Amino acid sequence: MQVEFTPTEEDHRIAKLAALAIGIHVLESAIPSPIPGIKPGLANVITLLTFVLYGWRAAVWVSLLRVVIGSVIVGTFFSPTFMLSLSGACASLVVLVVIAGSGGLGLSPIGLSIVTAMAHMAGQFGVAYALFVPHPALLGLLPVLMTAALLFGAVSGVFTCKVLARLRSP
Amino acid sequence: MTKADGVVIALALVVLGYLYAAFWSNAKGAEAAILVDGVETQRWPLTQDRRIDITGRMGISQLEIKGGKVRFVASPCSGKQCVHAGRLHRSGEFAACLPNGVSVYVVGSATEFDAINF
Repeated sequence: MQVEFTPTEEDHRIAKLAALAIGIHVLESAIPSPIPGIKPGLANVITLLTFVLYGWRAAVWVSLLRVVIGSVIVGTFFSPTFMLSLSGACASLVVLVVIAGSGGLGLSPIGLSIVTAMAHMAGQFGVAYALFVPHPALLGLLPVLMTAALLFGAVSGVFTCKVLARLRSP
Repeated sequence: MTKADGVVIALALVVLGYLYAAFWSNAKGAEAAILVDGVETQRWPLTQDRRIDITGRMGISQLEIKGGKVRFVASPCSGKQCVHAGRLHRSGEFAACLPNGVSVYVVGSATEFDAINF
């Protein structure tokens, strides 16, 4: 049996963007981190770009493809790291879809990036607390992690703005 | 940057302030619980300095609460492990004089891990 599949232009676009995000994800996994859960999250720049340029559907695809394929390449597929990464991505996508549903709320990529970074961290932390370390002492890390999310979210947002400006000026 | 971004950042700072206030305010242990032969006999707040003499199997163990920390000052045992345990202040920290059957641990809102491995 032969399955006929003709990729559309959008399929190609999503694949290219996901490949970019996966590349960043893999490069970033080589950076050591002082506390588990803190990393720059620059792959999110691609998700945000996709969201701004092509809408939330494409952003969901790019983000989930990045998490799954990125973890296969790095070697964390189905490990706790992967679970945390996936839950964070899902939380930030839910927020992104809600924002898209309410017409964007006048947010620039900087605001979007901060909101999604903090949603990512909150979702990830919730799963870590519920599944892996259900101990009150873990809550002591939450303020630090959320502060990191705010800072790195702002940085990613600025990067996204810069890239968008380049893409839009011919 | 748009106005909405400013609102997002302001809200984020409020959330962070709340998180620090909620989870970082009482990280230190609040009370020292003293056990004789595994049974709690006394409990003292770490905020008030005091000396406590506890009679155990071999004799009197002297404990001291000072500057928010508790320690064994002296004990009739030979090893003095309890004295060498030093000053305790984090919740969950523990020191014991096993020969004398006297032990002390810090009771707080949350206990700390000895180690976390990933």
